[in-house]
Amino acid sequence: MKFFDPHIHITSRTTDDLQAMANAGVRAVIEPAFWLGQPRTTIGSYVDYFSSLVGWERFRCGQFGIAHFCAIGLNSKEANNEGLAREVLELIPHFALKEGVVAIGEIGYDEITPAEERAYQAQLQMAVAWDTVVMVHSPHRDKKRGIRRSIDVAREAGVDMRKLVIDHNNEETVRDVLDAGAWAAFTIYPHTKMDSERMVEIVRRYGSERIIVDSSADWGVSDALSVPRTAALMLTSGIATSDVEATTWSNALAAYQQSGQIDVESLNASPSIDQRQLFADNSVLRGQAPRVEGGLTSLREKSC
Amino acid sequence: MHASPAPTTPSSPQARFTILRQLLQDRLAADASDFVARAVSEIGAGIDATRFSQLIAVASRHSRRRVAFEPTPDELALAAAAQMDINIPYWNQLEALRVLLVLAHRDLDRDAFVEALEQCFRYADEGELCALYRALPLLPDGARFAWRAGEGCRSNMRSVFEAVACDSQFPAAHFDDVAWHQLIMKAVFLNAPLWRVHGLDARLSPELARMALDFVDERRSAGRPVPPQLWLCLGTHGEERALNALRTELRRGDLRGRRAALLALARAGQLPKVHQWLGGWLGDLEPTLAQAHHGDVTQAAFGDLQQDTPTKARQ
Repeated sequence: MKFFDPHIHITSRTTDDLQAMANAGVRAVIEPAFWLGQPRTTIGSYVDYFSSLVGWERFRCGQFGIAHFCAIGLNSKEANNEGLAREVLELIPHFALKEGVVAIGEIGYDEITPAEERAYQAQLQMAVAWDTVVMVHSPHRDKKRGIRRSIDVAREAGVDMRKLVIDHNNEETVRDVLDAGAWAAFTIYPHTKMDSERMVEIVRRYGSERIIVDSSADWGVSDALSVPRTAALMLTSGIATSDVEATTWSNALAAYQQSGQIDVESLNASPSIDQRQLFADNSVLRGQAPRVEGGLTSLREKSC
Repeated sequence: MHASPAPTTPSSPQARFTILRQLLQDRLAADASDFVARAVSEIGAGIDATRFSQLIAVASRHSRRRVAFEPTPDELALAAAAQMDINIPYWNQLEALRVLLVLAHRDLDRDAFVEALEQCFRYADEGELCALYRALPLLPDGARFAWRAGEGCRSNMRSVFEAVACDSQFPAAHFDDVAWHQLIMKAVFLNAPLWRVHGLDARLSPELARMALDFVDERRSAGRPVPPQLWLCLGTHGEERALNALRTELRRGDLRGRRAALLALARAGQLPKVHQWLGGWLGDLEPTLAQAHHGDVTQAAFGDLQQDTPTKARQ
């Protein structure tokens, strides 16, 4: 089975993770711009961060046969540093229309402050102007209200609900998102947002339409194999294969290809791994024999 | 479309633009063709740096890097008139489209263009970087971009490195010796196709041979094989030390290494050494020896040695 993890912060993951993901069937990822665990203080940090999302991180994934897409945006936490936020908003047009940039994201609310709202609205306008999908991060605290407000403000800005993905949902928020006509994404974290068992129940109850599973794996305790693991549990729990396929591959593809930056034909073709695409002294590969394969088949991942 | 028409010579940017546009025209779908028409006219009318950079980026919505450009022999002949025939064979369609947009800029001779292009580089993704570096050899007054091309060679992305180093007149024409030698040695490390580094044969030197021979020592001390294309770096340089290294390779290397060593000896004018060292036992080397006797020993002759990394001999 092949998987699309439409929310993972590759920049925080090692090549061991990339190898394990490839082995487990993860063929494509989206890396949304977010904060780095501590706030940035200068615009230059942002320039280099965005550059790495469309450059080095994409290249690194490619060496493991994983197609890397990304979302560009100013996250809600750093929106509260208003001086820096203004500069970041001016920087976004330089990156948001690039190859493989499939959304403005992850944007939205953290504390639900006026500064967060201004940054969110400004970015929604960009998304409308550029006909780009929006990936919304929903807050940890006051989540239900935050999500409702995210949807309302997006609708006011003129965002097509079919181009709106609300992430980090749970049992309490999914109905609102689906009723609005948006996509509901679920982050499978080991201890917090959502776990695989609960995810099975959500799919059992709501079906697979417009429901997306992701890992949001980052620099904290998280699991880069959340998507394949959850798929495995769904299958053994009796969820139909077509529903598993929809929630772990095709829904994410359908949602994000609306930005016109995914070469679907290329993605559906057998992935090619070419680790010759590297520099023996400074690349991800240091002295091992390079793997050159036409496709990924029968690779075993014991833990999944 | 250029506001201040400069005299058009066969290899002027204007002539290159015209040829490239013609080649692209036959390949693009209607949507991409419309995009090109709109973008070229917007760029030609005068455009700020941010918008210029955005148009180059958003070309990815209309053309795919997956599609090879693949010029026909007739098209290559056309490109040769504008001295682009060494550049275009390895491009993809999206790169060709982006190079066209760069050539459409009306101020190619001016500082404003240098600044606009640098802004494109500053915010470029991997695919854009490749396209922008491929445009450099086609621009007037290339010395203006020498530092930028050096940055490209420092990239950790092999695709970007090759976009600077291979199939381009730029490095041989504009790199100083330090940058040039680094480019050559990095190509060896990466196993990037050295034979496609344009102008290599014309810019060999004792210093490059010394670096190559030091690398041979490092590899052999580590018990690792010498990449066959490394021998391309010697030319007529390296003297006794080169001959000793080649003798070892000819006797103990794998077949590709031995073939490369034989070609290197021919390049150094030392072909008689082959018989002296090997006696009559040439075996699989016969075809390569015949090739060498025909004088087919330029860098292009190393093309068929460049298949994949020499994994067989790896410990």
